[in-house]
Amino acid sequence: MLLGIVSFAAILLVWESVVRLGWANPFFISQPSAIADSLSRAARSGELWNNLEVSLREFAIGYGASVVVGILAGALAGRFRIVEYVVDPFLWFLYSAPLIAFYPIFVLWFGLGVPTVIAITFLLSVTQIAANTLRGIQSVNPGLLRAARSFGASERDLLWKVVLPASVPMVIAGLRLGIGRALMGVVVGELFGATAGLGFSIAYYGALLKTTDMIASVVVIVVLGVLCTQALSAVEARFDSWRTGPG
Amino acid sequence: MPIPSSKYRVLVSTIAVLVFLGIWEIAPRAGMVDPTFTSQPSRVFAASLVIVPSGDFLHDVSVSLSEFAIGFALAVGFGVPLGLLLGRFPVLRYLLDPPIMAIYATPHLALLPIFIVWLGIGMQSKIAVAFVGGVIPILVNSMAGVRGVERSWVTAARSFCAREWDVFVKVILPASLPGVVMGIRLGVSRAVLGVVVAEMYQSQAGVGNKIMLYGSEFRTDYLLFNVLLVSVFGFTATWAVRALEEKLWTAGK
Amino acid sequence: METRIVLEPAMLQNQGSAAASHIRVEGLTVAYQKPKAAGTLIAVSSANLDIARGTFVTIVGPSGCGKSSLLLAIAGLVQPAGGRVLVNGQPVSGPGRDRAVVFQDFALMPWRTVLDNVRFGLELQRWSGEDLTARARRYVELVGLKGFEHYHPHQLSGGMQQRVGIARALAVDPEILLLDEPFGSLDAQTRDEMGSELLAIWEQNKKTALFVTHGIDEAIFLADQIVVMARNPGRISEIITVDLPRPRTIETMDSELFIEYRRHIRACLMGKVEQSCTQERRF
Repeated sequence: MLLGIVSFAAILLVWESVVRLGWANPFFISQPSAIADSLSRAARSGELWNNLEVSLREFAIGYGASVVVGILAGALAGRFRIVEYVVDPFLWFLYSAPLIAFYPIFVLWFGLGVPTVIAITFLLSVTQIAANTLRGIQSVNPGLLRAARSFGASERDLLWKVVLPASVPMVIAGLRLGIGRALMGVVVGELFGATAGLGFSIAYYGALLKTTDMIASVVVIVVLGVLCTQALSAVEARFDSWRTGPG
Repeated sequence: MPIPSSKYRVLVSTIAVLVFLGIWEIAPRAGMVDPTFTSQPSRVFAASLVIVPSGDFLHDVSVSLSEFAIGFALAVGFGVPLGLLLGRFPVLRYLLDPPIMAIYATPHLALLPIFIVWLGIGMQSKIAVAFVGGVIPILVNSMAGVRGVERSWVTAARSFCAREWDVFVKVILPASLPGVVMGIRLGVSRAVLGVVVAEMYQSQAGVGNKIMLYGSEFRTDYLLFNVLLVSVFGFTATWAVRALEEKLWTAGK
Repeated sequence: METRIVLEPAMLQNQGSAAASHIRVEGLTVAYQKPKAAGTLIAVSSANLDIARGTFVTIVGPSGCGKSSLLLAIAGLVQPAGGRVLVNGQPVSGPGRDRAVVFQDFALMPWRTVLDNVRFGLELQRWSGEDLTARARRYVELVGLKGFEHYHPHQLSGGMQQRVGIARALAVDPEILLLDEPFGSLDAQTRDEMGSELLAIWEQNKKTALFVTHGIDEAIFLADQIVVMARNPGRISEIITVDLPRPRTIETMDSELFIEYRRHIRACLMGKVEQSCTQERRF
């Protein structure tokens, strides 16, 4: 933690001084002090909060829907073999295909703007969450199932008292990875076509060649990404202690 | 207990895909959906017959492929050695770990507009995005690979008077290979994504460029052919590395 | 030294009525599908066994002799390919309230506390009319884990985890306790301690117990009867009645008789007592 702060401070210091000493062109890499300025200006004018709100709302809807659908689909596929076999080819395709390439089609379907961004966000994270849920259910230790059966567990008992609790760690890992992908969906969706949001502001200032304002928005996204991932990692650590692991 | 054979699995999966294609084909014919929005498998196939023989297609594919190849090669060439180094030397790792983790948690495509400002709308900016996309997972997993090496293996090597270099080449390197390859697998898909999205964002040529172009012209069939092409490439590349990975794991166990 | 081994033929062929024995195994064959459709593996081949109520029976044999399969078939967790298992004269078709299993890998739910793990079986068997938590707590105390009620399994040593496994099985008050190499993954000293404690608990109400192990000393120390198994195919090769006085202590293991049993079983496991197959022996 301390080393992290030291390390970031060092990077900022080098960055600032390289520009001040005239070794690098601030037009290209800007400088930390200017970025801090830009951020505080955006915060005071309300622009920052507005963009943050738009992006976070898109994120919440897209990610929220993918959590519900992903866990449900993954659980069904884990429970019923036939569902797994039906879903499997599509899941694998969506998992390894560069999904953002479908962006223009979403624009055709939903029009430019918020709905398309939400659709991309949803699609990017839902595959990860479904795949992890499926794997979590499949990798439940058969010894635990056998023990439950020895006490006369019904299929319902097996599902509620063994399978679901046992797959919680894998599901949460999926939720964590899904956050990264959903964030990517929001930002890229906004890069391509939006009227507000963090991704939009990067694209907007990029087109105006305003490096400082552009990097300021990137910094906000970095902070957001780190915060979200840290939060889920903390949740994960709570379950990690009894994690049985795959296989 | 009857264990369903893999034949059954393949059968069910194949039927599912065929049903999907069937509905996709029939729904527009039956007037249930507008083919402008969904196209049809037959139209996508017809589009492929037009697109593939054209010289434009070859040009686009070669541009995209070389952007990917160069960016990804740089990512491997840079990420693997640095990852191994960071894994081996804790001091370096403590210093660089926080920024690396911050970048890992960030959607790397957010950097796209910055690369365009820095490097222009030509191939360089795409190579840069592919590089950044690929290098982080490669670096992180190579590092994890080295850290996963059992201390006892190193101790065993030392007991036979191995020098630092021997330890590195004969123990650390082979033992961390699975981690490295896993990083490469994750890196492949991120690099492919990087190239395509960068081309879609601003470019002069490439498959991603065409995807955006056909999208704005409502040529859904042409668009889908290109999307499928990219998907198949991503899928195949990932699958190939995964196959290599499984081979390594079975060899290691 | 005089030999104490006396052959008493035809004891096993004793066709006493099924009702007389608590557990009766008739011509039991257990088979597994080999992976990739490479045929079937015969784990247990036409085994016969009678276990009287209230006896402590151990099954000993080399790995791969089907001793666990035999136990799991009695538990109703493995469907036999041939023959049948009777408990109280009734054929076994699946797990039942009259039997509880203690597993080698403990099989504790990692997300449940010690107390909730002991409750687990009670919940599944839909116990009612009694506070389940209070009952679970009594059994946690019985196995000496008072104070650890709210620990999770990963915070306990292997020996303590298996105490939870034993408490979980005892809590549902089964007539028959089935233990599948319960101390197999514990170190030698813990194993001896656990064995003594298990016996002490068993002495209190003498439930019928079937205990699978690959440890010869453990098998003798605990047992009224020892079932010796051989492999290829897995089969019962000998049944030995142990006449060591109870209650037994660690010193029992130093007695001359104990050593005699040990010598005999070892020879038997090494296949040097060919003529004794499927015969009951008495010392």
